[in-house]
Amino acid sequence: MSIPIYTYDAVIVGSGLAGSAAARELQIAGKNVAVITKLHPLRSHSGAAQGGINAALSDADSIELHEFDTVKGADYLADQDAVELMCQKAPSTIRWAERMGAAFSRTDDGKIAQRPFGGQSSPRACFAKDRTGLTLLQTIYEQALRVGVDFIDEWYAADIIYEDGKVSGVVAFNIRNQEKAIFNAKAVMFATGGYARAFKISSNAHANTGDGLSIVARHGLPLEDMEFVQFHPSGLSGSGILISEAARGEGGKLLNSEGERFMERYAPNKLELASRDVVARAIINEIREGRGVGPRKDAVYIDLTHLGKEKIMERLPELRDLAITFLGLDMIKEPILISATAHYSMGGIPVDIDGHVRKNNDELVEGFYAAGECACVSVHGANRLGANSVLEALLFGRHVGQSMVADIDKLFLREAEQSDADAMIEEMERILTSNGKETVPGLRNELQQSMTDNAGVFRTEETLSKQVEIVKELRKRFANIRIDDKSKIFNTDLQEAIELGHMLDYSLFIVESALARKESRGAHYREDYTTRDDESFMKHTMAYMDENGDISLDYMAVTPGKFEPQERTY
Amino acid sequence: MTTITTQTITFNVFRFNSETDYLPYYKKVEMEVTSEEVVLDILNRIKWEVDGSFSYRRSCRHGICGACAIKVNGKGVLACKERMNDLIELFGTELTLEPLSIKRAVKDMIIDKEDFWVKHEAIEPYLISHIEEHPEMECAVTPAQAEALLDSDYCIQCGLCHYSCPVIEINDDFIGPAAFAKAYRFNADVRDDGIDERLDIINAPSAGVWDCVKCFECAEVCPKEVNPIEKITKLHNQIFEHGRAINNVATRHAVGFAHSIKKHGLLDEAELVRYSEGTLPMLMKHGKVGFKMFKVGKVVMPWNMPKSDKLDEVKALIKSSSTVKF
Ligand SMILES: Cc1cc2nc3c(=O)[nH]c(=O)nc-3n(C[C@H](O)[C@H](O)[C@H](O)COP(=O)(O)OP(=O)(O)OC[C@H]3O[C@@H](n4cnc5c(N)ncnc54)[C@H](O)[C@@H]3O)c2cc1C
Ligand code: SF4
Ligand code: SF4
Ligand code: FES
Repeated sequence: MSIPIYTYDAVIVGSGLAGSAAARELQIAGKNVAVITKLHPLRSHSGAAQGGINAALSDADSIELHEFDTVKGADYLADQDAVELMCQKAPSTIRWAERMGAAFSRTDDGKIAQRPFGGQSSPRACFAKDRTGLTLLQTIYEQALRVGVDFIDEWYAADIIYEDGKVSGVVAFNIRNQEKAIFNAKAVMFATGGYARAFKISSNAHANTGDGLSIVARHGLPLEDMEFVQFHPSGLSGSGILISEAARGEGGKLLNSEGERFMERYAPNKLELASRDVVARAIINEIREGRGVGPRKDAVYIDLTHLGKEKIMERLPELRDLAITFLGLDMIKEPILISATAHYSMGGIPVDIDGHVRKNNDELVEGFYAAGECACVSVHGANRLGANSVLEALLFGRHVGQSMVADIDKLFLREAEQSDADAMIEEMERILTSNGKETVPGLRNELQQSMTDNAGVFRTEETLSKQVEIVKELRKRFANIRIDDKSKIFNTDLQEAIELGHMLDYSLFIVESALARKESRGAHYREDYTTRDDESFMKHTMAYMDENGDISLDYMAVTPGKFEPQERTY
Repeated sequence: MTTITTQTITFNVFRFNSETDYLPYYKKVEMEVTSEEVVLDILNRIKWEVDGSFSYRRSCRHGICGACAIKVNGKGVLACKERMNDLIELFGTELTLEPLSIKRAVKDMIIDKEDFWVKHEAIEPYLISHIEEHPEMECAVTPAQAEALLDSDYCIQCGLCHYSCPVIEINDDFIGPAAFAKAYRFNADVRDDGIDERLDIINAPSAGVWDCVKCFECAEVCPKEVNPIEKITKLHNQIFEHGRAINNVATRHAVGFAHSIKKHGLLDEAELVRYSEGTLPMLMKHGKVGFKMFKVGKVVMPWNMPKSDKLDEVKALIKSSSTVKF
């Protein structure tokens, strides 16, 4: 059976903010571009962002302050050239999104309104009520549609065509009917989003299974800084669904089972408005020491009742709705139950400042690009600040799209062959015919639970070593699975199995990288090495997987800039 | 929530695989449901604990992406935002899970939504304006102008209203409430230059806003309080305000409606039909029914039409609001 080969100038995988913004740039430059996405574009996780998008717009703020806050927030692991580019271009990027139709909230004189967020020297987050991501995603998608971008939705990208340091296409199948195809192109971009679904308690969409990372890693290409996974302090108890930082920004108080406002002990000055990593650790510590609340004693209270009904309805209506839906608790009348939740992936596919994927510390892959949460250009370093990641996705998505436009005429098209689809076909066949005794939901649950327990907010040599063994063992058992659905139409059983394979692979990168980083920096907190060690670890982790699935580690220098590392206090 | 309670619930689950099944069937699944769960948790548990071949769409799991819309006992819900306890309270302990539209079912809860997206794209769902690629300043929009969108920008394209609309069921051309709400979203935006273009699209006979039967189902079912019927009414007005009305049954119906109210302060239904459809077509189409109604005294002759006691007020209101004459 022959597989159709479609030819484009550029193929983009992922249609969140990063992918859609890049696609529009290519299209308006007259390039022939396709966007492949496993969801409908408007279901991408970018639409879930509530809080805001940063830019130094006001006179009270400055680009330099935005840069400083970002570098400090990153615990000095960010690359300062990338931070500079992001902060400088932020104002025009926000205004460009506004011109395209984004429905931002406004000040009385008609300007874009801004609100304060943790770790910011000035109110910097532009917002659209509590649906910032929704308005941005809709706007970028709509305008990409308007100029004629070819969106190929509900197609699963399972592999890239990589040979001799060059990427020349994507191999994918149609989720609707398992029709397979090769998308041959001069330039390929990955914008596949985050990977916090490896954890049990997570704010992420079901779709955030980090496929893009493992697809890249399986070709022997590196992943950068995978140990840095951000845990947000306020996920709803049980589900991990996000209660935005706005809740603490508006004055939410954290209380334990003894009614103590415990942040007084952990961050006497900033209290609930200390940085995310600090608050998340405080909460988990309270729970570990037996002062948790709720039916499972695995949460703390966030009390917003003193704000009053009016303010809650005006500022936090969506959050109130979420707590009612998922906890049956009304924050107007009673405190609600929260705990830390896996939220954001600082690491990812290493790229240079123009989005070219790195082959190693010194070389780039030809014709291959990445942007958004799946990429690590490193603007967030060890810890990202609220409202900087939607900015990253939108801004770098567009910027990398432009760099593809500039490169495409210099790139040649290496024609794809039928055999390029072999790896994907084998993977699908293996899963469809495997007749073992393990189940996908069973293994996935073990992975997520153990990642939360052993590689979560607190980590030690012991828990991480244990987790390395668990992940390896789960990978072996994965070879012995059996799925129920053998049919061709919307076989989501098959899809979930493929996704689990990806989760297992990149999880090993997370734990191996974390095990080797014997210091505490930003979101990565080692109880056995509680301080930052600039001497040994002011560097990016570069991890590689070999053919046997084993990980080896290398390191890459951080790009310095005008801000010298200092101790990080809030 | 200090305790978690559980109940045994029986689910009748719609199953269908268009590749292998000739007809759909329902499968009974019994489960202990906890007070913490939403419908999506149940869908997940059916797939993960009972039968892996069960299929449905989902992504964000907190009511913002629009992927997971289904029907429970005929009621359209966003699976990830609908609490099981609320449904049990409403319908009892036996619940039927079905896709949004049975005739479009492809696999279990998954439907072919092609018609929804085609119509979404048909109304030009984007800001029509020159895009400044590197702007120095944003457009000035006051809070009041921003509020004019009336939350129509909050639509998540879940399709609940579309597949609950009775007109969509019988008329394949009808653009539908979600796309109308979207058309309103851009028409209400001070930055947009495409209002007339969009009005001409949504004004078309049989596809456009005039075919809405005002049943309010779309407002009822919407999980985001977008209230499409409210936007449809506003689009009716825009059509007249912008002089885009074309002389057809629907617009004449609207104008005739206004005439009648202006004249009597009340609705003269027979006159309205005559005005909308023309005297001769009216007699041909409704003559028989009309005659029967006349015989039993249900038709009031124009000269006998009663007047509202608030006629002056009504007249003043109409004068201030009407803009178009045929
Ligand atoms: C609950 C929540 C709230 C947030 N709030 C904020 C906020 O207020 N401010 C802020 O700055 N950031 C916020 N973030 C972070 C931010 O939303 C994300 O980092 C950002 O939107 C990522 O955009 P993206 O374009 O990289 O990826 P996404 O929008 O996640 O898109 C990924 C795309 O890749 C596709 N894809 C993935 N794998 C495959 C495959 N194998 N084949 C085909 N397609 C594939 C998906 O279908 C999707 O289209 C929040 C995150 C969460 C979870
Ligand atoms: S009010 Fe109109 S658009 Fe809404 S569901 Fe009823 S007929 Fe359809
Ligand atoms: S208007 Fe409401 S029900 Fe209709 S598609 Fe939009 S969000 Fe869904
Ligand atoms: S899964 Fe996104 S709305 Fe339900």
